[in-house]
Amino acid sequence: MKQYRLDNQRTRQSHLWLVQVLVAGLFCLLSLRLWYLQVYKGEHFARKAQDNRIRRHTVYAPRGLVVDREGRFLAVNEPAYGLAIVRENCSDFKKTLDYVALVSGAPREVLVGDFEKGRKRVRSFEKQILLSNIPFSLLAKIEADAIHWPELQIVVQPRRHYTQSELFSHVIGYVAQANEDELNADPGLQLGDTVGKAGLELIMESRLRGSKGLKEEEVDAAGRCLNERVISSSEAGENFRLSIDLDLQKSAADRLKGQAGAVVVLEPRTGKVLALVSQPGYDSNLFVGGLSDAQWNALVSDPLHPLQNRPIQSAYPPGSVFKLVMAGCGMMNHFVSLSDQVYCTGVFKLGEREFRCWKKGGHGAVDLRKSLVESCDVYYYQLGKRMGIDTISTFTKACGFGAVTGIDLPSERPGLVPDRAWKVRRHGESWQGGDTINMSIGQGMLLTTPLQVARFVAALINGGHLIRPSVLADSEVEIAGQLPMNERTAAFIAETMVQTVELRQGTAWRLKRPGVRIGGKTGTAQVVRLMEKYEKKTTDEIPYKFRDHAWMASFAQQDDDSYVIVAMVEHGGGGGATAGPVVDAVYEHLFPRESQDDLNAVPTRESNPT
Amino acid sequence: MIDRRLLTHINWPFFGLTILLLAVGVLNLYSASAVRIEGGLSLDSYYQRQMVWGGVGMACMVLVMAFDYRHLRDAAWPIYWTAIAMLVAVYFFGRSISGARRWLDFGLLNVQPSELAKIAILLIGAKLIARQEGHYDWPALGRILGVVVLPALLIFKQPDLGSGLTLFMILGGMLLVKGVSGRILKFLILVVPAVLPFTWFFLHDYQKARIMTFLNPGRDPLGAGYHIIQSQIAIGSGEMWGKGFMEGTQGMLSFLPEKHTDFAFAVLGEEWGFMGAMILLSIFCAFLYQIYLVAVDAKDEFGRYLAVGVFFYFFLQIFINIGMVLGLMPVVGIPLPFISYGGSAAVVNFCLIGLVLNVSMRRFMFKKG
Repeated sequence: MKQYRLDNQRTRQSHLWLVQVLVAGLFCLLSLRLWYLQVYKGEHFARKAQDNRIRRHTVYAPRGLVVDREGRFLAVNEPAYGLAIVRENCSDFKKTLDYVALVSGAPREVLVGDFEKGRKRVRSFEKQILLSNIPFSLLAKIEADAIHWPELQIVVQPRRHYTQSELFSHVIGYVAQANEDELNADPGLQLGDTVGKAGLELIMESRLRGSKGLKEEEVDAAGRCLNERVISSSEAGENFRLSIDLDLQKSAADRLKGQAGAVVVLEPRTGKVLALVSQPGYDSNLFVGGLSDAQWNALVSDPLHPLQNRPIQSAYPPGSVFKLVMAGCGMMNHFVSLSDQVYCTGVFKLGEREFRCWKKGGHGAVDLRKSLVESCDVYYYQLGKRMGIDTISTFTKACGFGAVTGIDLPSERPGLVPDRAWKVRRHGESWQGGDTINMSIGQGMLLTTPLQVARFVAALINGGHLIRPSVLADSEVEIAGQLPMNERTAAFIAETMVQTVELRQGTAWRLKRPGVRIGGKTGTAQVVRLMEKYEKKTTDEIPYKFRDHAWMASFAQQDDDSYVIVAMVEHGGGGGATAGPVVDAVYEHLFPRESQDDLNAVPTRESNPT
Repeated sequence: MIDRRLLTHINWPFFGLTILLLAVGVLNLYSASAVRIEGGLSLDSYYQRQMVWGGVGMACMVLVMAFDYRHLRDAAWPIYWTAIAMLVAVYFFGRSISGARRWLDFGLLNVQPSELAKIAILLIGAKLIARQEGHYDWPALGRILGVVVLPALLIFKQPDLGSGLTLFMILGGMLLVKGVSGRILKFLILVVPAVLPFTWFFLHDYQKARIMTFLNPGRDPLGAGYHIIQSQIAIGSGEMWGKGFMEGTQGMLSFLPEKHTDFAFAVLGEEWGFMGAMILLSIFCAFLYQIYLVAVDAKDEFGRYLAVGVFFYFFLQIFINIGMVLGLMPVVGIPLPFISYGGSAAVVNFCLIGLVLNVSMRRFMFKKG
């Protein structure tokens, strides 16, 4: 024991205490770190471990189908392939993207840009879409090379296809890849998803989209799937049946082809749209695959504005069609009676200014009936002067003009019914007497959409209901307002429209066909005031952009069926000459003539009636 | 031969702790050997082989205990030169595994000469330090450090930075315990941190990458940082009570790399949680403390410094390995004693345990001549 103690004294000379300090230090340091990782940050890491092992896969929901009135497919889904990348399997993004750019021909900067933008939205080990709608040739190339690029995966994404692309482009619209803003606004969207961008696709987006399903897989570090379970199943989007009839739409569009314009066919009692044509159209399918800059620029810079949905987005002066409103206004406000006559010399003077009738020699003695049937301008100059702008604009607004109709399509425009306050606000000038005279025949600042005109005509023959138009077959009929006319007035105006077709002097005589009660009203809307310069010339000699817009508003009744048809041809010249045949083509579809004789027998008229 | 009296002096608590560690290691390896595959589990035989190695190790341990450790004082230099010779042989004939030439192939056995070098340094260190009177001054320090330079350089060359530095650290630890003069201490405290940055230029690219990655694992989450990140996820997700034996997803689904060797502790942390990890840490502490007690009670300076050397040998491995798994240190390939799978490591570890037991049970013997 003595020896032992002696040794211990020597021990004290050395620094054996250091060993104790090291052990204590080690224990403290490591336990603190363990506590930090396992207790303090434990939940965080538990979540990470879960993310590591569980991969969530989206199960795409088929988008709702769109069919026409008869159930014919207009918008369907077809299988398509996309190229996705799983970043975690990637050793070098740049190399992979270089390869993708090389085989796909996609510009590298765009690929890299999209990749960088998108990577924040994709969870770890989730597929990030690089390219959508890849062609089979590219798919084959990538599959053949798959062993070298384990990070690249082909994914099946249903793709929208429009069977009648141009014919329905303005009704159905199109889908395209969701952009940054849409992704931010809607947490249900993932990168590479498509959303409705126009038309029904846009306005019914939430119902058409359906809901995506979620599948969970347990995977190991190599990405092999060990277990799979469905968290939620996908639900297909709602299908929509349009009230539009494919054949009717086609017959109207075919006749309009080559021109810019719009056709609206309405069911007057229900407001159901049977045809809604906007020409020129565009190929909706182009957007699905992604439009190139050149394609987009071509669409946007096209002077005929193919993207414009003319029946609801373009507003034009209604021309003589407006006389229907003026006549109603005059009768309802007791400014005219049926027997009142005006003598038309062809010219109306307001102070120093002269306003002309379209008919050079004048119509002679004109009563209200004749003023509508033969579309006498002077009669309405006088009526307008008597009524004044306040009465006219109030009545016009009550007829549904100057406000959207509420049709179930996006971006409808309200048009414009000017009044005193508006002119001061807009132009800083007070309302002039001449403005009223101009407006009396539907010229000047007044702007209406073809759909508004169609709804107005429908109200004339449906008991005065201003109905909310709808392109969906199963929508509820909704009455948005009442025409400010009593039944007698509306019936009278409708009857003059019938005479406009029935009588030889009528401006819409071309529409006449046996066995059907057809009414019509033509309109020619001046594009420029400088008509003197082109007065002597025929339509063909006037530069396109200065030509008048041509209108034809019409209805037809046979037994229980009734239709309202409005055609508008931009820069089409006289209403009867260019818009008339379009309406006639629709009637030809609805009520085919047995022979062409009575049409061919009619001599052509010298000048264009308005 | 072993004196019967010696048997009664065997340090049973220390031996018990060693066996406990071996058992924890095998149990943990059993779980780490399992890989979940589609529809079930697949077990590798790591845990069985580890048990075999444990047996071999214990046999070696008994062998080491059999003769008086003081004979090793004489064997120190021959062992040292053998180690050097083997390191040189590795340089010419060594087997290359993933770019590093560290092993000598003896048919059945793959021997890692750097392990032998660690034992040699331990013996030489104990021998030289025991002879030293008083604190170390510059010339004495130079002499003893000279011993370590040659094997260290040969090991660096393999390349095996971890083992090379371990040689320095074992010897350094022993020297610190012996005590160096105050001037030397001040010098080291001032100069070593200043010189350290320059060693950067002598590192291999992958070593530089490891250090960079250690400083910022997010820099390369799928490359060098992957180990650190996955290991921290494994340990952290164990939370307080762990996911349960064989239930660790990080390990079972192979997200955890090298889970039976360098990262075995992460498997344990995931499955047994904070409580389990703390228990293992406590066992390690008790184990190290036992070695300390042996050093304190050692009858002669050689025995004492043998124990101190063994202490540093284990201390460094435990600290570096767990520190690395916990993200406190750069990733260097150093196994955790008794917990990581490894044949040569098990044999060497048990030999060293044998040494400590040897010193411990002969602490009451009188000096021979």
